[in-house]
Amino acid sequence: MRRLETVVASLFALLAFAGPAGAQGTLRIGMTASDIPYSGGQPDNGFEGFRFVGYQIYEPLIAWDLTRSDRPAALVPGLAESWEVRKADPTKWVFKLRRNVKFHDGSPFTADAVVFTWESIKKKDAPHFDTYGSAQVIPRLASLKAMKKLDDHTVEIETNTPTSFVPYQVCYMMIVSPVQWQKFKDWRKFADQPSGTGPFRLTKLVPRERLELEAFKEYWNPSRRPKVDKAIFLPMPEPTTRLAALRSGQVDWIEVPPPDAIPQLKAAGFQIVMNTYPHNWTHTLRLDKEPWNNKLVRKAANYAIDRVGICKSLLNDTCAPASGITYKGHPWYGTPKETYEYNPTKAKELLRQAGFDGASKRPVKAVHLISTSGSGQMLPLPMNELVQKNLKEVGIDIDLQPVEWNALTQRFRVGFTGENAGMNAWNISFNFQEPWSAFGRFFHSKSVVPASLNTMPYINPEVDKLLDEAAQAFDIGRQNEILAKLHEIVVDDAPWIFIVHDLNPRAMSARVKGFVPPQSWFVDLTSVSVGK
Amino acid sequence: MWAYVGRRLLLAIPTLLGASIIVFAMVHLAPGDPMSAVMPVDASQADIEAARRMYGFDQPLPVQYLRWLGRVAQGDLGASIATRRPVLQDVYAALKNSLVLALSASVLSFGIGIALGLFAAFQRGRALDKLMSAVAIVGVSVPHYWAGIILIIIFSVQLNWLPAMGAAAEDGVLEYLKHMALPTIALALIPLGVLTRVVRSAALDILAQEFVLALRAKGLGRAMVFAHVVKNSAPQILTVLGLQFGFALGGSVLVETVFSWPGTGYLMNLAIFQRDLPLLQGIILVLATFFVVLNLAVDLAQTLVDPRIARH
Amino acid sequence: MSTLAPPMATGDVETLVGAPMSYWRTVAWRLRRDPTTIVAGALLVLIALAAILAPVIAPHDPGAGSIRLRLAPIGTSSHLLGTDEQGRDMLTRLLWGGRMTLLTGLTPVLVGFLLGTVLGVLAGFVGGLTNTLIMRTMDVFYAFPAVLLAIAISGSLGPGLWNTLIALSVVFVPRVVRVAESATVQVKSLEFVAAARASGSGVWPIMRHHLLANVLGPVLVFSSTQVSLSIILAAGLSFLGLGVTPPAAEWGLMLNTLRGSIYVNAWVPALPGVAIFLTSMAFNLLSDGLRDAMEIRV
Repeated sequence: MRRLETVVASLFALLAFAGPAGAQGTLRIGMTASDIPYSGGQPDNGFEGFRFVGYQIYEPLIAWDLTRSDRPAALVPGLAESWEVRKADPTKWVFKLRRNVKFHDGSPFTADAVVFTWESIKKKDAPHFDTYGSAQVIPRLASLKAMKKLDDHTVEIETNTPTSFVPYQVCYMMIVSPVQWQKFKDWRKFADQPSGTGPFRLTKLVPRERLELEAFKEYWNPSRRPKVDKAIFLPMPEPTTRLAALRSGQVDWIEVPPPDAIPQLKAAGFQIVMNTYPHNWTHTLRLDKEPWNNKLVRKAANYAIDRVGICKSLLNDTCAPASGITYKGHPWYGTPKETYEYNPTKAKELLRQAGFDGASKRPVKAVHLISTSGSGQMLPLPMNELVQKNLKEVGIDIDLQPVEWNALTQRFRVGFTGENAGMNAWNISFNFQEPWSAFGRFFHSKSVVPASLNTMPYINPEVDKLLDEAAQAFDIGRQNEILAKLHEIVVDDAPWIFIVHDLNPRAMSARVKGFVPPQSWFVDLTSVSVGK
Repeated sequence: MWAYVGRRLLLAIPTLLGASIIVFAMVHLAPGDPMSAVMPVDASQADIEAARRMYGFDQPLPVQYLRWLGRVAQGDLGASIATRRPVLQDVYAALKNSLVLALSASVLSFGIGIALGLFAAFQRGRALDKLMSAVAIVGVSVPHYWAGIILIIIFSVQLNWLPAMGAAAEDGVLEYLKHMALPTIALALIPLGVLTRVVRSAALDILAQEFVLALRAKGLGRAMVFAHVVKNSAPQILTVLGLQFGFALGGSVLVETVFSWPGTGYLMNLAIFQRDLPLLQGIILVLATFFVVLNLAVDLAQTLVDPRIARH
Repeated sequence: MSTLAPPMATGDVETLVGAPMSYWRTVAWRLRRDPTTIVAGALLVLIALAAILAPVIAPHDPGAGSIRLRLAPIGTSSHLLGTDEQGRDMLTRLLWGGRMTLLTGLTPVLVGFLLGTVLGVLAGFVGGLTNTLIMRTMDVFYAFPAVLLAIAISGSLGPGLWNTLIALSVVFVPRVVRVAESATVQVKSLEFVAAARASGSGVWPIMRHHLLANVLGPVLVFSSTQVSLSIILAAGLSFLGLGVTPPAAEWGLMLNTLRGSIYVNAWVPALPGVAIFLTSMAFNLLSDGLRDAMEIRV
């Protein structure tokens, strides 16, 4: 009996006091994704897939420069050293590929890999066609028509029509190793043992539970060889779970801590890292029906929102007020006429001008579809209730209808028809990393659903013209100018209620050093080190 | 008796078939589109339609059902839309975790429940009996997911003794056990309560029977009476044990959600919200099959212990 | 094995029909004398009253919340039980939430009781093919444990009050059918039923009398034991995001939305669970008392 007690006691002692040790140089991250993103090449799970899997294991021809915090991430040479459009035929681009680059499996990177990857996305009858990966990335490569090998280190990319946006699309195509694929001839098996050229290589994958990467010692860029030996990624879709995991030392870094917990995290010595990045939390308005078909009413709504209040009291400063699609300091911001600061008096005045009286005569009424959660949606319920309250104060009555996130995205894609016929707006968050995702897909008349995501529908020939012009401006400076001008027009038209930009808060233990939060959805983990 | 066994086995087949129809109908008649759930938000409706055609989700329902059934009969539960892994593989991994949790919760609750129940029965009417009964009723009435949250508050947040989530199977057995501690306790509460009450009630029934009094009058020792009680209450207890193990396995969804324990419940939750139809179908079918088999086993075990039952 | 009602003299139908009332009077008398039952009953009455009178007695508007006052601790002035993650008064939402939880907890059991009794008695009384058809169908549903079935159906239909009620009703009907059928079969096999049939006097009056006492009794007791489970399940569905949708006040939903806040203010999130627990326990104690009073073992 005695012995049993001792055993039990010591077992309990062991259980109570032994803790999981973080190996030296191992970075453990808690992601918001509910599963490990697809590792077979073109990632799923949206941008978090690119962030933690795509851009770590693989590389595109043109990459994002994620090493600076002070300006939006720009495009820099990746697996291509240089690229240029043919003067004679602007639908063709010549990419000169980097030499002496090896895949994780040891095979050399050549033009064959580029063509192979392209075919895996576009060539339906190819044996190496990746149904799933293709479905993930095809929307982002809309303008690309063909890729041809000119020689071992040169590739020619052809577009449907001449467009200067090619680099912004090429950066989403991850190059996979054909040699490795041929070993399996199956994308699922390849996904378990993938081979790319990126700074990390995959060592272990437990579906829905765990992803383990290790530093790729032969990575071609010596300045970006990872400082950590290993990086482990754990899916933790619940904010409380992430918080618990960070506090108990189970992980070193979590994405999006619950905003309420930030003060206590700071007090406990954790680092809270944030930066502006191309994110929008808005209400996309329906422009062909009352009340949002009236520009004055739309502007009024934009002046009625206390954005600073939302960011300060609800989100503990993990967001920034939005007065447009892009933010001040971004090359596409321009100088919009309307500043949309919190001005309920102005809002009421605008409503009066529009013929809405709020009190007795015509109050503004609308039904808005929101979600109860979702990636990038931040805290939809409390935030929307604040928005609703703000609008009510100036005489705009919006009825919020919450649905589940997947349901919302599905309904959004079909536009304001069918079961959505009675809706006047939706609350979905968006990114604006490149001109297409910022403007093209929403504001061009060719993007009206179901072709793309222009649900409002927003039709403005001037904006169409500017977008087409920007696509033809092969000089980045000129392109930015045009886009800035476009932005000014859109801000003035107010097709959305601009509310806030998320600041992508991350919490990490004090031992994590060297991380530079970029103005991007993606991160560079190679500069990170984990101390004792 | 073998006729009874044969009959029960035969009956299991239409039950399983019926279950498969229900599973398929439930999942497919539900509103919502599985394709758009796994595509990026950026994808337009045109992109979704193209993907749908690629996957072949446009067949009429009865055709889809028969095809699915045919594959299931061969052991192929299809592939999850989200991970493109075979559903069977995913479910198997998750089932292992759920079984571990259910088994440990069952062992814990059965052990303590039976002990408390018997103890209460033998202490009938006295203070200890009242105490045991009170504990039992508390166990039965507590929402186990709430109990899980309370346990997290006390043992993870305030005391930081035990981890709050996941299974951490990779970090070794000790870590796994630590992660298992709180969910097991939370899951064990209701079965504990149920068992205590049932055992107490059954034991009291038997103790009250006249010939027990006669036996005791004849001088039969306590231990023998005890053994007699146990033997006679066994069939009833067995049924309850089976039911409660079923509850622990099927009801683990709520506890698994609270603790992010990667079991079938957690997986099912994920499949529901991702509208991953093949996965959802697979999980429910596997679980339903498991339960039909479990019920069968309990029935047969009962017959073995008390052959009189077979005559019904 | 259910103990039957107190034996009564065989005689003409009128005497037999007169008998049940004293049986129920006996039950009522027994109930009145059991202190635990009285306390449980009183607690339930209190809970029900609180829920019914919520619009009148609640100190605040259940939907009104001030973001600045989020997660105020228990005991804050004017917010006795604190505020939730959107600044809404907890006491108010608990009172209102009671209505929703009681509704989603009791309705499926009621549906189960009514529908289940009808189906079960039918199956037991008629026997033969009808019996096989009904019972085997019920078996298929019975194969799924309650939680799994509720979640699977809810998950398919989607969140919402009606879907929850449907899902939970589907869970409870088969269980009641089983109890009702089994009891009916037993009554049917009673000797004096056979005797009555042989003598040619109507079977129905006898059946009716016995049904009341010997079928309704066990079914009633069984149903009362299911209420606590139904409440926990209904709240559980909302907890998973499958039941009632925000911003409605419902205890399970409140547990869900408050769960994220346990690191900020640990005890306010625990409150809805306490409410579920107390209600559930009261129902369990009551059903225990009912069972003892009716001397039925189910």
